[in-house]
Amino acid sequence: MLDTSEAGGPAVRRRWFALLLRDRFATAAAVVLILVALCAVLGPVYAGDLATRQNLRAPGRPPFGLDHGWAFVLGSDSLGRPVAARLLAAAGTTLAVAVPAVLCSLVIGSVWGMWAGYHGGWRESVSLRVADVILSFPSLLLAVVVLYVFSPSAASLVLVLAVARIPVYLRTARAEAAELRSRLFMDAARTFGTGGWAAIRRHVAPSVLPTLLTVAALDFCFVMLAESSLSFLGIGIQPPDVSWGLMVAQGRQELQSAWWIALFPGLAIVVTTVSATVLASWARLTTDPGQRWREGLGRRSRGLRSDRGSRGDRGSRGDRRSRGDRGRSAAGDAATEEEREEERSVPGSAAGSGARPPGEGTEADVLVVDDLSVDVHTPTGPVHVVRRVSFAVRSGETLALLGESGCGKSMTAHAVAGLLDPVAEVVGGQVRLDGVDLLGLGARARRRLAGPGLAMVFQDALSALNPVHTVGAQLAEPFRIHEGLSRRAARARAVELMERVGIPEARSRAEAYPHQFSGGMRQRLLIATAVALQPKVLIADEPTTALDVTVQAQIMDLLGELRAEQRTALVLITHDLGLAAEHADRVAVMYAGTVVETGPVAEVFGRPHHPYTRGLLASVPAEQHRGARLTSIPGSPPEPGSVPAGCAFRTRCPMARERCATHRPALTGTGAGRAAACHFGKELADA
Amino acid sequence: MLTLLRRRAVSSVIPLLFVVLGVFFLARLTGDPANLYLPLSATPEMRAEFAARNGLDDPLITQFGDYLAQVAHLDFGESLRTAQPAGEAVLRAFPATLQLAGWTMLLALAGAVVIGSLAAYRPNSVTDRIATFLSSTAASVPDFWIAIMGVLVFAVTLGWLPTSGTSGAAAWVLPVATLLIRPFGVLVQVVRGAMVSALSAPYVKVARGKGASEVRVVFGHALRNAAAPALTVAGDLAVGLVNGAVVVETIFGWPGIGKLMIDSVLQRDFAVLQAAVLVTALAIFALNILVDLCHALLDPRVRQRAAA
Ligand code: SF4
Repeated sequence: MLDTSEAGGPAVRRRWFALLLRDRFATAAAVVLILVALCAVLGPVYAGDLATRQNLRAPGRPPFGLDHGWAFVLGSDSLGRPVAARLLAAAGTTLAVAVPAVLCSLVIGSVWGMWAGYHGGWRESVSLRVADVILSFPSLLLAVVVLYVFSPSAASLVLVLAVARIPVYLRTARAEAAELRSRLFMDAARTFGTGGWAAIRRHVAPSVLPTLLTVAALDFCFVMLAESSLSFLGIGIQPPDVSWGLMVAQGRQELQSAWWIALFPGLAIVVTTVSATVLASWARLTTDPGQRWREGLGRRSRGLRSDRGSRGDRGSRGDRRSRGDRGRSAAGDAATEEEREEERSVPGSAAGSGARPPGEGTEADVLVVDDLSVDVHTPTGPVHVVRRVSFAVRSGETLALLGESGCGKSMTAHAVAGLLDPVAEVVGGQVRLDGVDLLGLGARARRRLAGPGLAMVFQDALSALNPVHTVGAQLAEPFRIHEGLSRRAARARAVELMERVGIPEARSRAEAYPHQFSGGMRQRLLIATAVALQPKVLIADEPTTALDVTVQAQIMDLLGELRAEQRTALVLITHDLGLAAEHADRVAVMYAGTVVETGPVAEVFGRPHHPYTRGLLASVPAEQHRGARLTSIPGSPPEPGSVPAGCAFRTRCPMARERCATHRPALTGTGAGRAAACHFGKELADA
Repeated sequence: MLTLLRRRAVSSVIPLLFVVLGVFFLARLTGDPANLYLPLSATPEMRAEFAARNGLDDPLITQFGDYLAQVAHLDFGESLRTAQPAGEAVLRAFPATLQLAGWTMLLALAGAVVIGSLAAYRPNSVTDRIATFLSSTAASVPDFWIAIMGVLVFAVTLGWLPTSGTSGAAAWVLPVATLLIRPFGVLVQVVRGAMVSALSAPYVKVARGKGASEVRVVFGHALRNAAAPALTVAGDLAVGLVNGAVVVETIFGWPGIGKLMIDSVLQRDFAVLQAAVLVTALAIFALNILVDLCHALLDPRVRQRAAA
């Protein structure tokens, strides 16, 4: 639904039109521009004569009087020429300069730019130099000089403005074309013999055009303003022709006696340019998928929370118990007393590492995530990216949240840490830290817990460290914020911390900046920041993805040491089966925004109770788990916005039956400390 | 820092040369000064004498060579109009423009940082929508019209402010306010865009994850990262202002460089025009270096690249 790949086709065009209509601002702007264009075409025909005819019987009439006909509604000037008629006539002149100027510079500049960018080399550098020279020329001075050489007229105005704006398009087109050149398909195009102009026309132009048109829309404002400035200065449009800028200049002479002469043409300019700007920025928003994603922010809906009780799967489940206990998770509902009895007798569970159903908050659990749901707001409505996820972790325990990219595991982590992007919103559930629901806390109380209560290690350490501050300052920050230490004392603690995570020469390296460290060292720094205040829960979001294998191992070892040392509960978010197998006590497997299976890691991997987990493991021999990506099942996971009804996995599931298409399976206990979200989980467990 | 300076100098010198060259030849295409300075009835002998006296009878190439030799000795020639050294006229006009540009940029930047950050803090909120709409309006408003409307309201109707001149603080209000509007509008949008992306950067999340207050997040972490694009655009806008705020200077009778340049073209006062263009070009060169220095000050990665 966020498909922006093709910029053509009637369906796409129709959707654009629908999007335009949805944005009231942009619609209004488009209507205004169409009206201005109509005035420009028809105005000179109807008003051209009136605009220049002097009427000495009606000089200096104030506006808004109707007794002299429509032409005089906006008053008249000292020569009795009606302002309204002159405005209409001027619309024609103004657009007759602006439109050709924009078109000329657009065509010349973009063809030139694409040519330069496509070929590269000297053609590129010479072109850029030329653009530099034109741009560094004082533009107004250039205009004045050229207009003196060619004598001011509409045609020379077009020439001047077009030349002055060519570099803008040249640069944009060049940059985009050069980027495309470096991509694969251009190489392919070259080897197939489509060279030069053909390749530019076929490959470069279509992808550069949207950007260039946006630039042109903004440039239209610039050109209009330049034309009116020049006309105002007396070196643009010359009387008896009339343009809006010229009218303002004339109005300036009569400012004391007839303010309306200067007011209305200025308003006309403003309305036109503002409309063009609004439309241009709308176009930019719509063509840029990254921006469009943000656009939906204005409309918030709380779908999930309100229709909570009416979810089909929940009502239809036969074994549902009425515990009268609000906030219990689906899995909690399903886990029977017997099972929990049983759980205590399972050998090995005495060690503490949770052979128990997820989401069941016991005393020992420091973090309990209960029925958590997260929506992302998009222009087409909210998308449920995390749906009723529950899990729990104890001190000193490691829980792996395992899943393919896009399954919602990262979003879950961010929601738990309270670090969701503004477009995403928690729409249901609880996150309890030591029994306190974090989602119910105020911002200040929540901040107090960020660091000592719950901390997070990010995936990409380079972007997670602030590039403009020294690492020492960044590591000292937790101490300054939470313990109120002086700059100096905090810095000393930061150095200690750097030593602890194994950074050599910590004292001097504290003065260095993030970009001066290697990837592994940066990840160590990031971990140091997170563990600075000995958090009760540490969430590590793919902490080793960006690193090579040896460094990965070192980082995981460090995390393991710190976890043992500080008795931290570790939530390890990963797509790496081996990493989970090796470092986690328990695992929660996620698919399409939900937890599909959970349990002790050895048991789940040894005997999966969900077809998805099974599929994952089937193609990967146990000894090769390490580093294996979760891509072994035919088909691909659904997009968050188009999860099928019933079981989200059914399109790829070898075991799918009729029931799967209509009923969404809930996470249900399938054995000691085990749960799976499959209608036939029990069968798999018993088979 | 020296490398930075050298690189800037190398990349600026070609455009600079072209500008000087272009102005020299284009100015001479605009017409013969003799038409303006001699009576219509002037005989060909008088014209020849006038041309010879002002060095306008040589071939253009020779004139250009002479001009370059003069400039090398910091001699910019004499004004045809006032017979005073052209350099002096330019140096008299330049501070007026610089002051105007300086105040304008200072206020525009300060305002844009505040408004832009506020708008970016909650993208698409009501504040953001209002700020975005107002700033895009401001960025596309004709300044000469705003100036005239300002004069109409505050000078003619209310009588609070003078219509022209440079004396007294009140005289600065309308010119600065008029000049301010467009750079302000543009900068608000740039700051907003840069802040939106800085605020969604992972390091901001990390800062929030440390429990940093929102003030600390916005000003301590995001703003400095968002400063670079704003600084670049502010530099370009300042170049525009230094080049002469011709329209505003004309309307408010501000004795600045822009007005001087246009007047020189109109009066075929080549020496003054050339001197003005040269001095502005140098000022812009200095301005660009200042912008580079600020970039280096703000971002350690730029410092490292400059040192390399
Ligand atoms: S519920 Fe049906 S489709 Fe879903 S995993 Fe189980 S068997 Fe497969």
